[in-house]
Amino acid sequence: MKKNIDRKKIEQFKSMRVSLSLQDAIKESNRCLLCLDAPCSEACPAGTDPGKFIRQIKFYNYKGAARTIRGNNILGGVCALVCPVEKLCEEKCSVMALEDPIDISGLQRFASEYGESYAIEPLEKSLKNKGKVAVFGAGPAGLGCASELAKMNYDVTIFEKEKDAGGVLRWNIPEFRLPTETINYDLKNLSDLGVEIKFNSKINSPDTATNLLSDGYKAVFLGTGLSEAFKLNILNGYPNALEYISFLRDIKTNNNKIKIKGKNVAIIGGGSVAIDSAVSAAASGAKKVYLISLESLQELPADEEEINLARTMNIIFKAGSQVTGIVSNGNKISGLKGIEIEWIESGKFIPENARQIQGTEFNLNVDLVVQAIGTAPGKELKTFASGLKTIGKGTITINDNYETNIPGVFAGGDVANGGATVVQAVGEGKKAAKSIDSYLS
Amino acid sequence: MTTKADLSINFCGIKFENPFCLSSSPVGNHAEMCSRAYDAGWGGIVYKTLGLEKSFKIVMPSPRLSVYNYGDKRFVGLQNAEQITDRPIKDNIADIALLKKKYPNKVLISSIMGYDDDDWIELAKLSEDAGADMLELNFSCPQMARKDAGHRIGQDYESVSHFTEVVKNACKIPVMAKMTPNITDIIPVALAAKQGGADAISAINTIKAITDVDIENFTPLPNIKGHSAATGFSGPSAKPVALRFVSDLYNSKKLNLPISAIGGIETWIDVLHFLLLGGTTIQVTTGILRYGYRIVEDMIEGLSDFMIDRNIKSLNDIIGKAAKKIIDPSEFNTRYQVVSVIDEEKCLGCGQCYISCHDGANQAIQFDTDKRKANVDEERCVGCLLCKHVCPVWDCISYKEVDTEVAKHAAVF
Repeated sequence: MKKNIDRKKIEQFKSMRVSLSLQDAIKESNRCLLCLDAPCSEACPAGTDPGKFIRQIKFYNYKGAARTIRGNNILGGVCALVCPVEKLCEEKCSVMALEDPIDISGLQRFASEYGESYAIEPLEKSLKNKGKVAVFGAGPAGLGCASELAKMNYDVTIFEKEKDAGGVLRWNIPEFRLPTETINYDLKNLSDLGVEIKFNSKINSPDTATNLLSDGYKAVFLGTGLSEAFKLNILNGYPNALEYISFLRDIKTNNNKIKIKGKNVAIIGGGSVAIDSAVSAAASGAKKVYLISLESLQELPADEEEINLARTMNIIFKAGSQVTGIVSNGNKISGLKGIEIEWIESGKFIPENARQIQGTEFNLNVDLVVQAIGTAPGKELKTFASGLKTIGKGTITINDNYETNIPGVFAGGDVANGGATVVQAVGEGKKAAKSIDSYLS
Repeated sequence: MTTKADLSINFCGIKFENPFCLSSSPVGNHAEMCSRAYDAGWGGIVYKTLGLEKSFKIVMPSPRLSVYNYGDKRFVGLQNAEQITDRPIKDNIADIALLKKKYPNKVLISSIMGYDDDDWIELAKLSEDAGADMLELNFSCPQMARKDAGHRIGQDYESVSHFTEVVKNACKIPVMAKMTPNITDIIPVALAAKQGGADAISAINTIKAITDVDIENFTPLPNIKGHSAATGFSGPSAKPVALRFVSDLYNSKKLNLPISAIGGIETWIDVLHFLLLGGTTIQVTTGILRYGYRIVEDMIEGLSDFMIDRNIKSLNDIIGKAAKKIIDPSEFNTRYQVVSVIDEEKCLGCGQCYISCHDGANQAIQFDTDKRKANVDEERCVGCLLCKHVCPVWDCISYKEVDTEVAKHAAVF
C-alpha cells in the first residue's frame, strides 16, 4: 500500500511523501508475517531492524517502534525518506510471495514521526568515560560512527568542514525528498547523546590525524564522503556547465544564483543524483530537462521510484547516449551534440566500453548543463595523514575492521566504499565504531 | 438462465420461499424497510419487537453501539444497547397489516414482549389480527430498561413456560420462543417454552458483553454520558457461541422442536453451518447492519449452487447433519493420531509455525534458516494443528494419520 507521491509538493520543494495515518499504519503492519528470521532486518545495512519495529507497530507499541528505529539508526528519520527500500529490506519481504511487500519505509516514517510528535525521552547522554575519539565529517558515516561510540560512553567530537551538519543530506538531497526538519530531528537525537560537533573545521594542516592522536584522541574516524565531482573535459571552462554538487546545493539552500526558470537544462548521468538534479531543474521551472545517460532505461542505476518521479516531471530521457561535443556561443554552451551507443561487452557500464551507433546523432539546444557522472573524495584528504593509503579515484583503503593503514585511523562510508547509500554509510560508521571499541579495549 | 435449487422450507406449517429471515431488530423497524428487505429477496421477516407504550415507554440510549475490532479488521463483533421498538403500537400494527397485504407470500413473524399476561395477550391478538403468520416471544433482550423483562424472563423457567402458555391460549398462529444465551444451559429454558406450548425455538439472542474501553477516560464503550453496561453482543465473533447453542437445542431429544438459528450469519456458508447444526430457518441482523439487505442475494445464489453441486433436493435433507456428529469430549477416539505435513513448495519461510509450535505447543517444528523452510519432526508432533492455523498460506499445512500405540503427550526435554 504505497502512498502516491504528491507532485505539487515537489514543485513547492516540500516533502513529496504522504505520511501514513494511524489507520494506514495499523493496516500495513497487520499485513506483516512477523517472520522468525526477519529477512527485512537482515537486509538493512544499518541494522535498523524493521522486523522488530513493524511488530511493535502491530501491537500498538508506537513509541517502542520509534525507540527501536532511533536506537539502531541515528538517521532513522532520514533513512525512512531516502532509503532505496525496494533494493534492501522490501526486496527481502516474505509477504512478496503472496502480495505486495510491506511498505517498510512508510511504517518507519510513521513510527519516527510518532516518536517525534509524542516527544519520546531523549537518548541517554554518553558518560564520556572511555576516552576521546575524533570523527571527521558530520555526514551519514560520521554520524553513524559518532552515535554508536557515544552509546558506548566515548567522548566524541565531530569535525565538520561546513557550518552545519548532515553532509550530502543537508546540502545535496533535494528538500522534496528530504526536508531539513527531518535532518534536524535526527541531529537533535545525536546531540542528546552528548556528541559535540566542531563546525568550520577544515583539514588543512598536514598530518591532522597524527596530531589529533598525539593530542589526547585515542582514535580517529574518517567519514568525509565524496566532494569532488567529475567533469567532462569537453565542458571545461564554460560557466554554464556545472556539476551536480553545487547545482543541488544552490537550489537546496535557496541561493538561487543559478537561473533555471524557462531554460533548457541537460543533466548528464543516470544515477540518483542525476535524477535529483533533473527533477529539481524541472521543479524550478526549467522549460525542458534532458537526462543523458550511457545506460539504457533498463540499466539506469537510479531506482525505480526515482525514474518514475522523473517521468512524472516530464524529464526527457536520452538514455543509452553519449555527449560527443558542444555548440558554443561565445564563452557559453548553447547546445550539446550526442549519439546513441551500445555496449561492446554487455554489463560493463563505462565510457570505454561504449560503441557509437552511426546515424543516431542528435543535437540539443541547452542553456545549462549539469554533470552528475561521479565523485571522488575531496583533495584535502591528501593532507590528512602522511602515507594514508588510497586506491582508484582516491578512496581510502580499509580492511574488514574499517582500519586504514595508519594505526588508530579508521574510515567508512563513501570515502572508503567509493559511493553508496545513506543507510550503507550509517551501517559502516556503526561497524567502524565497534571496531574502534575493540581496538581500544 | 441460472438453474436454481428449491430453497423453500416448511417451518411450523408455514412455507418460507427461502430460509433467510431478518431477525427482530432495527433492520425490521417499519414497513418501508421491511418492503425493501422482501424486495431484496429475504424469505421472512421477524418484525422489530412490539411492546405496549401504555405499559412501558421505551427511551433509547445514545450512543448505543460499540464494535469489537481485531487488528485492522473492524466490526468482527457488535455490541448494542438497543431495546424493543419505540414506535407506537398502532403504527407498527398498521405496518404489519400493510406488509401482509403487499407481500402475501412472504412470511411475517411478529416479535412481541409483554410485561404481564394482559400485555402478552393484547400483543398476540393485535399481531394475529394484523395478519402475522407467526409470533416470536422475546424472552431474551439483554438490555431492557425494565428489570422484569427481556433476558431476565428468559432465565426464569416458570415465567417462560407461563407466558408461552398465555400467548398460545390467546391465538391460533404458531408461537416461537426466542432464547437468551446468557445462561449456562439453554435446554431447560427451551423445554419450559415447549411445556408452555411453543411450536419452535429461536436462538440465540445477543450475548451480554463489553466490547471496548476508552483508555483515555477509563470508560467502557458505548460511553453513554460517562457510563456503560454489558449489553448484547453479536456478529461474526458471536457465531461460534450461537452454533454451540443451536446444536445443543437440535440434539436435545426431549425438545424436538424446529429451530430458527441466529448468530453472526453473513454468507451462505454461515447459513449452511447453522442448517447442518440443526437450524431450519435462519435470522440475520448484524450482517445487514454492516452490509445491507443485499447480502441475501449471495446467500440465495451460494446456497442454491451448493445444493445443485451436491445434488441436494431439499434443505430438509441437510438439516442437523453435522449436529449428529457432536459428541461429548469423553467419547473421543484417542487412538486416532495425526501429524502435520508442510508443503515445502508453498512454505514462504516466515517461521510463524515454528514460533507458535515452539512457544505454544510441542517444539515439533524445525526451521532451516539457510533454506528458509519449516519442517515437522513427526516424532514430536502431537497433531494439534496450531501450525496449520497460524500459517499465512491457507493450504500449505495439512495433516496425515499415523500409526500409534499410545496417545502422544507433551515431551519434556
